[in-house]
Amino acid sequence: MTERRLSGVGATPLSGVGTAVWYAPDAELGSPPDPETIDADVERERFETARDVAREEIRAERERTAARLGEAEAEVFDAHVQFLDDPQITEGVEAAIDDGLPAEHAVDRTFEQFIERFEGMEGQMAERADDLRDVRDRLVRALGGGERADLGSLPEGSVVLAERLTPSDTAQLDPERVAGFATVTGGRTSHAAIFARSLALPAIVGVGAALRNVADGADVVVDGRDGALLVDPDEETRRETAGAETVEVRDGTVETADGTPIEIAANVGTEADLASAAERGADGIGLFRTEFLFLDRESPPGEDEQYETYREALETFPDGRVVVRTLDIGGDKPVAYLGLPDEENPFLGERGVRRSLGPDTDLFETQLRALLRAADEDAGGQLSVMLPLVATIDEVRQARETMESVAADLESEGVSYALPEFGVMIETPATAFLADALVENVDFFSIGTNDLVQYVMAAERGNDRVAALGDYRQPAVLRAIHTTVAAAQGTDVWVGMCGEMASDPEVTELLVGLGLDELSMSAVAVPQVKRAVSETTVTGARELAARALAACTKREVDCLLTETTQ
Amino acid sequence: MPERVVTVVPEDGLHARPASNFVETASEYDIEIQVGHVDGDLVNAASMLAITGLGVTSGEDVRLVAEGAEAEAALDELERILSTPEGEG
Repeated sequence: MTERRLSGVGATPLSGVGTAVWYAPDAELGSPPDPETIDADVERERFETARDVAREEIRAERERTAARLGEAEAEVFDAHVQFLDDPQITEGVEAAIDDGLPAEHAVDRTFEQFIERFEGMEGQMAERADDLRDVRDRLVRALGGGERADLGSLPEGSVVLAERLTPSDTAQLDPERVAGFATVTGGRTSHAAIFARSLALPAIVGVGAALRNVADGADVVVDGRDGALLVDPDEETRRETAGAETVEVRDGTVETADGTPIEIAANVGTEADLASAAERGADGIGLFRTEFLFLDRESPPGEDEQYETYREALETFPDGRVVVRTLDIGGDKPVAYLGLPDEENPFLGERGVRRSLGPDTDLFETQLRALLRAADEDAGGQLSVMLPLVATIDEVRQARETMESVAADLESEGVSYALPEFGVMIETPATAFLADALVENVDFFSIGTNDLVQYVMAAERGNDRVAALGDYRQPAVLRAIHTTVAAAQGTDVWVGMCGEMASDPEVTELLVGLGLDELSMSAVAVPQVKRAVSETTVTGARELAARALAACTKREVDCLLTETTQ
Repeated sequence: MPERVVTVVPEDGLHARPASNFVETASEYDIEIQVGHVDGDLVNAASMLAITGLGVTSGEDVRLVAEGAEAEAALDELERILSTPEGEG
């Protein structure tokens, strides 16, 4: 069979090989029953109930997306609630019911009018059509119109092919199992493309009608760099792609070619992530996000429940280190029992350690008790506690005092515990500037590049309009990293990095040169970065870092990095 | 009927977050509020669909019309949303 090449728009610069699986959302509704058999009052009530169900689902989806992908991605679902409650929708559906349609057909007919209208428009408005489909499908499902096809449990190595993927569809895809996706419609700024980037998933959008001719079960290569889908790829193409992406898993510490060990750890956000981190050869956990313990429930998790979860993480990495970030939550998260404030700009508001030392101090103490108890056990790795969104030395001192008083309580109760390593995330410019004073107060730093970039460059993530600004290759960001690492040099404080930058093998050499001791990333990136470290020499890396720090523009940094990777 | 013409400042125009804020605010008032292009038809300001359909971009003028008890207060608040660059609201 000869290789066929279909062009589209690459959503991520990643490639994947796999088997095509067509995703056809829900079956068409049948023809509506005889209007005589319809009781309009009953149908109106069914519609109301379905709206309540859909509203709850959207809220839950929003929470999950915020925890998994981030706030910018989650905001999409705010608009979904507004569409659900839109007077034109509700009035349209009610009128259709009065015409003798059952609720599901009334919903379908009303939404279709708007979907068609938006589809004929340009840019952002055309994408609203995807949002409307998402809301419509949810309502029709809530009315008993079919189960949702489960995108979360596809066979490993699937490449999902679809007309389009709604935000909810894309949020379900598991990058551990899915090799990529390709859609008929969509552009670089469509929700599907944005979510693909957050998930680090190879993806091609806007392939056009030609995609429909690709058979279910066909062998395909998603070439995100060139924006192409290759069907029945030649052996050579397949090998090249597989070689580029499938890197051998290495267990054990990796060293640079000239013998400096670099710790390669994984970021985890759920218990399920622990196993995949271990499978991919991570040395430990560099960022254990604890938010998942607190979301999707009616009351906060108790001390014992948390203790068990932290123990499990430590037992998964008996020879490694597990860095647990204390609760990092703010007004952008819908956690009813916390009574989070409604803030104009939650990212600059009361969140992270600010809440832990303020209104959530009880939760913070409970979390510390669980952590100190977990740190004590013999079987398992070393536990480290990390504070999010620190901006002042006082916060660090106050948090340490809280930890010490928790330790004193445990002592007097006769409960066994140990004091874990204690560190801060470097994600505000304030902590980068204060790094030389912070070294006196902590055991480690971990640079959270996603937020650091956002706050240093004043450019939000996921906003395409400022994408070039919100980039970790910006000289100002490199200098903030350098300031932090330099402050720790010659002290016992180790410096790690968690965040997207750590997972990019194209900057691994630069990070080694800047002096990072540890890099933590999503598990998928671990094999690639381990390989990149082993191919680097510290001598060469330092030269590269010196030149990058001398650069004044992102363009110069980009050029330097391209030179070295070619 | 109280009305005014406002220039839309947010970079996204009447989309994304500014649109969400606008619709949410308009829904809070129990009066009829309409919005549209200066020389075009007016639509319900509390409808995300209608607002999205207008396709208003940054820098364009829109006409706001309200009728009822709190018309002026509602228009003040909506004008503020349309005149505030995103992120500074």
